[in-house]
Amino acid sequence: MRGDFLSGGYKQQPGSGGNSIRKDGKRVAGKQKFAPPGSGGSDPVMKPRDLDFIPEMVGGNEKQPAGAHIHDRARTGTIVGKPTTLVDANAKVTGQAWYGDDVRLPNEIIGRIVRSPHHYAKVVSIDTSKAEKLPGVLAIATGEDAPNSFGVLPVTKDEHAMAVEKVRHVGDLVACVAAIDEATAREAAALIDVEYEVLDSIHDMRKGLEDVDEPIHWRGKYHVGTTNVQKRVFQEFGDRSMIEDPNAMYHGKWKFMGVNHGFTEPHAVVAHWDSNGRLQLYTPQQVPHYAHRALATVLDVPMHQVNVIRTFVGGGFGGKSDPFPHEMCAAILARKAGRPVRITFDREEVFWVNRGRHPSHIEVQMYADEEARISGFDIDALIDGGGFASFGHVTSYYNGVLATAPYELGSFHYTGARVWTNKPASGAMRGHGAVNTRCAVEVGLDDMAEQLQVDPIDLRLANLLPPHSRTISGFRITSNGMRQALQKVREGSDWDNKFRKLPLGKGIGIGCGFFISGSGLPIHWDPNKFPHATVHLQIDMDGGVTVHTGAADIGQGSTTAVAQVVAEVLALPIEMIHVRSHESDTSPVDLGSYSSRVTFMNANAAIRAALEIKEKLLNAAWDTLGYHPDTLVLNDRRIYYKHDPAIGMSYLEALHKAQEDKGALISSGAYRSPPMGGVHKGAAAGLAPAYSFSAYVAEVEVDVETGMIKCTDVWAAHDCGKALNPLAVEGQIIGSCHMGLGQVLTEQMVYGRTGHLQNPNLLEYKIPSVHEMPNVTPIIIESCDPEGPFGAKEAGEGPLLPILPAVVNAVYDAIGIRINDLPLTPDKVWAAIAKKMKVDGIEDPSSLPVPRLDFSELQSKLAKRAANHEIRDKRRQTTEDTHAYVNGVLFGFDPNVPLEEQVDGWKSADKPEPEQLAELGLAGKAWLKDEQRHMGGEN
Amino acid sequence: MLMPPFELHKPKSVEEACNLAAELLESGQEFDWIAGGTDLIPNYKWHINTKPHVISLAGIDGVSDISMTEIGCMARLHDIAEGGNAHPLIAEAASKVASSLIRRNATLGGNLCLDTRCFWFNQAEEWRSSIDWCHKCDCGTGADCRVIPNQNELCVATYQGDMAPNLMVLDATAHLIGPNGERSMPLHEFYQLDGMTRNVLEPGEFMLKITFPEDVGNWVGSYRKLRIRDSWDFPEAGAAAAWKKGDRSTLRVATTALESIPRRHDEEVANSNGDVKTICDAIYDSTKPVNNTALPPRYRRNMIKVLVKRACEE
Repeated sequence: MRGDFLSGGYKQQPGSGGNSIRKDGKRVAGKQKFAPPGSGGSDPVMKPRDLDFIPEMVGGNEKQPAGAHIHDRARTGTIVGKPTTLVDANAKVTGQAWYGDDVRLPNEIIGRIVRSPHHYAKVVSIDTSKAEKLPGVLAIATGEDAPNSFGVLPVTKDEHAMAVEKVRHVGDLVACVAAIDEATAREAAALIDVEYEVLDSIHDMRKGLEDVDEPIHWRGKYHVGTTNVQKRVFQEFGDRSMIEDPNAMYHGKWKFMGVNHGFTEPHAVVAHWDSNGRLQLYTPQQVPHYAHRALATVLDVPMHQVNVIRTFVGGGFGGKSDPFPHEMCAAILARKAGRPVRITFDREEVFWVNRGRHPSHIEVQMYADEEARISGFDIDALIDGGGFASFGHVTSYYNGVLATAPYELGSFHYTGARVWTNKPASGAMRGHGAVNTRCAVEVGLDDMAEQLQVDPIDLRLANLLPPHSRTISGFRITSNGMRQALQKVREGSDWDNKFRKLPLGKGIGIGCGFFISGSGLPIHWDPNKFPHATVHLQIDMDGGVTVHTGAADIGQGSTTAVAQVVAEVLALPIEMIHVRSHESDTSPVDLGSYSSRVTFMNANAAIRAALEIKEKLLNAAWDTLGYHPDTLVLNDRRIYYKHDPAIGMSYLEALHKAQEDKGALISSGAYRSPPMGGVHKGAAAGLAPAYSFSAYVAEVEVDVETGMIKCTDVWAAHDCGKALNPLAVEGQIIGSCHMGLGQVLTEQMVYGRTGHLQNPNLLEYKIPSVHEMPNVTPIIIESCDPEGPFGAKEAGEGPLLPILPAVVNAVYDAIGIRINDLPLTPDKVWAAIAKKMKVDGIEDPSSLPVPRLDFSELQSKLAKRAANHEIRDKRRQTTEDTHAYVNGVLFGFDPNVPLEEQVDGWKSADKPEPEQLAELGLAGKAWLKDEQRHMGGEN
Repeated sequence: MLMPPFELHKPKSVEEACNLAAELLESGQEFDWIAGGTDLIPNYKWHINTKPHVISLAGIDGVSDISMTEIGCMARLHDIAEGGNAHPLIAEAASKVASSLIRRNATLGGNLCLDTRCFWFNQAEEWRSSIDWCHKCDCGTGADCRVIPNQNELCVATYQGDMAPNLMVLDATAHLIGPNGERSMPLHEFYQLDGMTRNVLEPGEFMLKITFPEDVGNWVGSYRKLRIRDSWDFPEAGAAAAWKKGDRSTLRVATTALESIPRRHDEEVANSNGDVKTICDAIYDSTKPVNNTALPPRYRRNMIKVLVKRACEE
């Protein structure tokens, strides 16, 4: 009898056997059955081990071209590497997922924010008396109620819940009101009289470099002159003499419009001070922990008095990772009113809080030498931060330093500046800081390949950094699947038969990407050596595994990834893993879903926690079975002797044995990235325990009469180390492709003549529809990262990068025109075509010339070098070759001797020499001013 | 986003609707008609020119029939596009409006009476307050036009309906009804400058149906729409052309989304000797789009040449 099979072994008094019901029908004390504890799923029969998903190094069939991995022994063939439906998919498709605005608390009231109608103004006075008299109004708050500043980065806390002195953009928060319903709240908001003194506003980021009377923020002794420069960066590495007399050179001045994340769920928050005076704050946050810290600061309460409850997040993409002023407003109003307060944004408000990708002016100069080695990158990036710092300090670095790979460089020179303007703040967005520069650089490579008359893919293949190497800026590259990615898309797209061979109006282009997989230094690193991620496991007698993690699932599937790795280690069906990640009261601190860190760090922590539990289970089995844990196998809810599966016990039996005298099994695992990187100023920016690589080929059709671009096909290869869940990785690739396509073709935040954001709605902010989506062929490359969980790296952001340059390069292949002004809206393309026709004297656009390629002698040289490098890379990847490799070896330098000692003029500088000042680019001009402390001001 | 409160009236017949309108007019109360609501409701949510009363035409019988020669004002665009009863050109145009979801609700009458659009106008209340309002919805401030400042006479908001030019080239007649009875006119005379006047509808009047000449089945043509995305987007420019099968001398051309009203270009066609390029250039010369939609006016104006050329292709 099946039922008895499941429950028969579990009596209150094990071993008594027999009936637990007397003949007279009464129960025998102490002998009744437990409710079936459940052995994990309804199937009582153990499934055979799935050898196809067990690495060959530990006796399975899964190929390991990159060699063994430290987590091989933790593999059980259960679920890692198998396409897995996200564990929260049911909740989402059945409408049961509770997003920010789904939270309904008893007695809740509605909050509404009063926003600035001016770009830049001093708040002279706020009169709330009329609003206070309106029946139904329960609380009103202004900047005076929350004088403490906050910000996502500890170095740039420049935000307040509401304006304390000035408003800095249209839509900036001035006051807020809570009332019994939305209509009353709106009416009350309109009754609040604010007197402003309007100041001269700045909208052009180039003006931000100039001295002004009233900078948007004041940084005291660190303020640069009296400008609006928030952050400036200078970095120079390598030998600058290498760029003299180049064989090919690209010079591009790029303009990128700002883009918004365009997530489906607008921001929403519910704040409630409970009966014990603790704040319960419900918010769709990517980084609940930073919101937690900021709330404590602004509300002036200790952190333990705040419980941040992360609701389901309806899309984040970086746009829900700052602590937000409206979260503070809701908490302040709720405290005043003594009732829960809910604030839900309209779409305009989402655009006003923004934190999207920075509008940028990027100038790129690139050089190649006689052997088509890349002798130098010069990048100058001026980025428009809008009214607040947000993540901008980091963005300022990323715009340069994330271009130092995957290619080996002779020299690298970067000047960056982020300025404040009177616009909604820019911040972190998928592909943070890397996207725009990457586009310019990849288009530059394409252009240099054309000058050198070589195939751009071969140019790339012959200049790649190998696995286990170091970039010119000191980043430690571990696994590296760049080469395979390029080879796969070349093959998949039939590149060799299409590139420079398609008729006018059809084109094909290549682009690559490089991105961090978690930031090496967390934003908050106090106390010292605090882990980046911590995961707690708990298993009680029912056998279900409760996983406590603070990782925020924002749709990327982090909950599923954590459940998967725990299921894998313990050889349990994923239905038995229950992830609790919503509340800061129960979740260990996690630094949040940003910089593509969650899978790498959180899953690593989860594996450690699961291994600890596994050890306890195996020791219990050892006690019972008499076989040493090294000879025991975990497979599908059973533990058995590896040479005779009949000698074994169920998982539950082992669990109950392990629980003797202890109760629930608990364990904790943590992850902290190893120390790495250089010591120069800014060395930490861009450091990551691993990096992802990607290569895309895009095919486009361009209507030469209208300038309309249609991207038809994309072959998208991404190196994610190891696809824990190939379904989720493919989803991320396709989703990234969609998002990047929006930025390259149609999406832009348009600020009109008067500086107002003209399109703060999803009709006029043009996110591509399903009709605009190309056929995307996702290609997963698995380079097996030595430190990643089961070899995994990120797949959420990196795949966005290559689509932009791939499309721009494809457009050039189609019509022979390079356009450096994104997005490539039809009017810009049409204007560029019209201009070319005028210059070249062409009457009919259908007779536009298209580029063709005749290979030079360099081509065969490059192909040969690439072939040699392929052998080199394979040996390094499998650690057959463990010699040091640093950027510069391609140029003949010895990796074992510091480059400064080998090369005269090899530099590693973080500020310009006086004689360099004259030749700096647009952003570099920020270095022409001194900081206040050097000018004798505000010491 | 909360709509301001209004009273919804649901007449069951044309007569009842007219009586309702007459009553409200008499008592001096403002109202709007609502058909599919896909144009009106977004504007109401943005608190644009809202009225205390809204009269729905959805419950009226017999105003949604679709045939080759007659289409009721309440006919849904989806049914026109997919039903197989309308003229192929009309079906094509209907299939290009907005998105499949919107077409299920949107009506022919609503599309023809579409409010004009402008990015200074189609914005939330807070947004509009930050520019001190505009002429088309000045909230009692007498605000200037934001597209062409220093004039507060004319509204240059753009008419962005897809259906009108297609009906015009098939020589459609608009039938209007109101408290003062029924009247009809060629559709190209229905529209009236400027962006606020929009059309000849008198207070209390609404569009009842559209009729076509008996021989409309012998006419062929096509509609070309300029838009960034193949879904959702209003036309940034649109051109319709039609002619009697086998007789190019009957060519008619109409455009939309370039000015405050759609226009039929009879004069430009008549002066062209049937040469399409001449027509294109003449229409280019006679249209002056302004900067109030997603794409710049210079581009839209230039594209009208391409659109007209392509619409005229046999």
